[in-house]
Amino acid sequence: MNSFAEQFPVVFSALNTGFLQTLKLFVVTLVGAIPLGLIISFGSMSRFKPLSAAVKTVVWVVRGSPLMIQLLIIYYFPGLVFNNPVWGGGENGRFIAACVAFIVNYACYFSEIYRGGIQDVPVGQQEAGIVLGMSRSQIFFKVTLLQMIKRIVPPMSNEIITLVKDTSLARIIALQEIIWAGQAFLKGSQGISGQIWPLFFTAVYYLAFSGILTLLFSAVEKKLSYFKV
Amino acid sequence: MSETILQVSGLSKSFADNKVLKDISLSLEEGSVMSIIGSSGSGKTTLLRCITGLETADRGTITVAGERVFDSERTQKLTREQKRHYQLLTGLVFQNFNLFPQYSVLKNVTLAKELLLKEQIKQGKAQKDELEEVEKQAKELISSVGLADKLASYPCELSGGQQQRVAIARALILSPKVLCFDEPTSALDPEITGEVLNVISSLASEGRTMLIVTHEMGFAKEVSDTVLFMDSGVIAEEGTPKEVFENPKSERLKSFLNSTLKV
Amino acid sequence: MKKFLAVLMALVLIAVCFAGCGSNENAEGSTKPAADQTDSEYIKAKGTLLVGITDFEPMDYKDADGNWIGFDADMAKAFAETLGVKVEFVEIDWDNKVLELDGKSIDCVWNGMTLTDEVKEAMSCSQAYCNNAQVVIVKADGADKYKTAEDCKQLKFAVEAGSAGENMAKENGFDYTPVKDQATTLMEIKSGTCDAAIIDSLMAAAMVGEGTNYADLTYTVSLNSEEYGVGFRKGSDVTELFNAFLAKAKTDGTVDTIAEKYGVSAALIK
Repeated sequence: MNSFAEQFPVVFSALNTGFLQTLKLFVVTLVGAIPLGLIISFGSMSRFKPLSAAVKTVVWVVRGSPLMIQLLIIYYFPGLVFNNPVWGGGENGRFIAACVAFIVNYACYFSEIYRGGIQDVPVGQQEAGIVLGMSRSQIFFKVTLLQMIKRIVPPMSNEIITLVKDTSLARIIALQEIIWAGQAFLKGSQGISGQIWPLFFTAVYYLAFSGILTLLFSAVEKKLSYFKV
Repeated sequence: MSETILQVSGLSKSFADNKVLKDISLSLEEGSVMSIIGSSGSGKTTLLRCITGLETADRGTITVAGERVFDSERTQKLTREQKRHYQLLTGLVFQNFNLFPQYSVLKNVTLAKELLLKEQIKQGKAQKDELEEVEKQAKELISSVGLADKLASYPCELSGGQQQRVAIARALILSPKVLCFDEPTSALDPEITGEVLNVISSLASEGRTMLIVTHEMGFAKEVSDTVLFMDSGVIAEEGTPKEVFENPKSERLKSFLNSTLKV
Repeated sequence: MKKFLAVLMALVLIAVCFAGCGSNENAEGSTKPAADQTDSEYIKAKGTLLVGITDFEPMDYKDADGNWIGFDADMAKAFAETLGVKVEFVEIDWDNKVLELDGKSIDCVWNGMTLTDEVKEAMSCSQAYCNNAQVVIVKADGADKYKTAEDCKQLKFAVEAGSAGENMAKENGFDYTPVKDQATTLMEIKSGTCDAAIIDSLMAAAMVGEGTNYADLTYTVSLNSEEYGVGFRKGSDVTELFNAFLAKAKTDGTVDTIAEKYGVSAALIK
């Protein structure tokens, strides 16, 4: 398999398999971290001091340490320290461990963005809700939430595009995402070895994907431009 | 003799060491208009915020339409239902309008009442067709403040005066027993204060009970049945507009009126 | 609502703790080992031998259907059969092999692993089953200039970080750059960023020279000779079971058959 034409279909299908894993990790992380981040942001804004202090400490630890180390700890610690390999050795276990690490990590980043977004909504909006007899949850969901969303779309789109690229860190626990798949052909896999182009070619996937996300976010921004906050 | 609809007794409030309200008592009769004047920091806005439930006073009682909405001696907790009920006895129009920017003019006016009705429908206390009524009622109120052509506009597309008129309609739809205004024209350019003041005047002539904190002395004189002058957390003088504006008794009120006239 | 959220949040935190530390019998291939269990009992109880590998022709690699084959892979299948368990191949990051083993996400490292002092220190190693050497790879034209290690001193080397090749480069006092893996070292020569590499002879036989992607490279000097073995967890009793299996497989011809299939007969330890 020396010609590019022969190699391409093999590489393409391997990269697609890898990218599917990247995409799964990306989607699961968002689905988990977006609501968890909101809960964490409420915790850090809680008037119950021990809770907000505890939550802020967790957020500090998670944001202040490298995601790569968190992945290693979450995947290897249960087996190493507690003699209990909860994740198992297979690809599925690695995927779940990676999801947990990414969700917790990104939820902490999101929570700070949410906190800023919520605190930026003028207090008068809440007061208007109160004097109109609305309940706290009605005020949050009907008044504050959309204004907060409008404020956080730009910083969230930054974080989410960073997440696209951060998924590649999961290969530290041998999650076979797209960069792993591309690198395999450098070392030798499926009769193709010493080929560096598949690794570079992975960038095309990242670019295409972040391009789609950029378009999506500008559509959201446009959709929310009918009102000013 | 009309009925007393708002009764405040012995109300005190401090922020840290700063005593903002000192043993305030006042009463307001149904269908009458009371203006509260005074320099900034005199406690008039805090008084309004205590009456409308945005601040909790340290001592005293507040009674609206015969119901004890606040009592510093009360030990048992209010249920959500009670809180909501008491809250809706008063309405408040803010200095900065505080319209909800993401909703149209119509939705700003209907939102709170719709949410309320939906809860009541769930509990079987109201019927579905009452929701349609709300929209009709909102449109009428918006017309009455002169904005019939702005139903679908968003707050950012309106002038300050128009926004404040929407805010008044939004407060009116819940039919509060006492409608409070917190310096309703202070955030407006002088040339458009008139359109808001006209709306308030016409509400007065309809017999709405209103409590107005204002810096507009001419307006207060014209629209009010009673004027309160607050100074350093106490009611320094109280009387008809004629008494307060033409015959001020205390030196403080005299110098306050002089300073506002000069401006 | 605040209270509700506080409670919800506490629940989430507790759930995360449980997921992290609690026992989870249902997770794939994971059973909590009992304190008094031997390693072989643990593996038999869960019914699967997790074999840590990398894509490494001719020892462990994928066939056209994506199944793992190779000399090591086929031997591992035969060994698992004698234990009466299924075999599952797990691709790992080679740098993390000790972590993977101790963390029980794999049960053995079986991937043409050179038995270096570091490896013997960190794992319970089997008897050697294959000979190997660290050889110097250079461009084919001009290769005859480099007949001894001394000749190679002027070259700029690329070696796999932490590999036996790196040790050789150190011992011989070569000027070298550590890179991610053995394949990268070949790329370094091809792209001209380095002059030479040190890799396993078994790998060199499969990847370098005529008929390969690296037809313009060749291998010259053998710097040492070394041996491949299988690594088990420290203190594991499976090592002895493997040694017994290997002895039997040598006599009944299993080893020879598999070795012939993958072209490694010459390197076998008889």
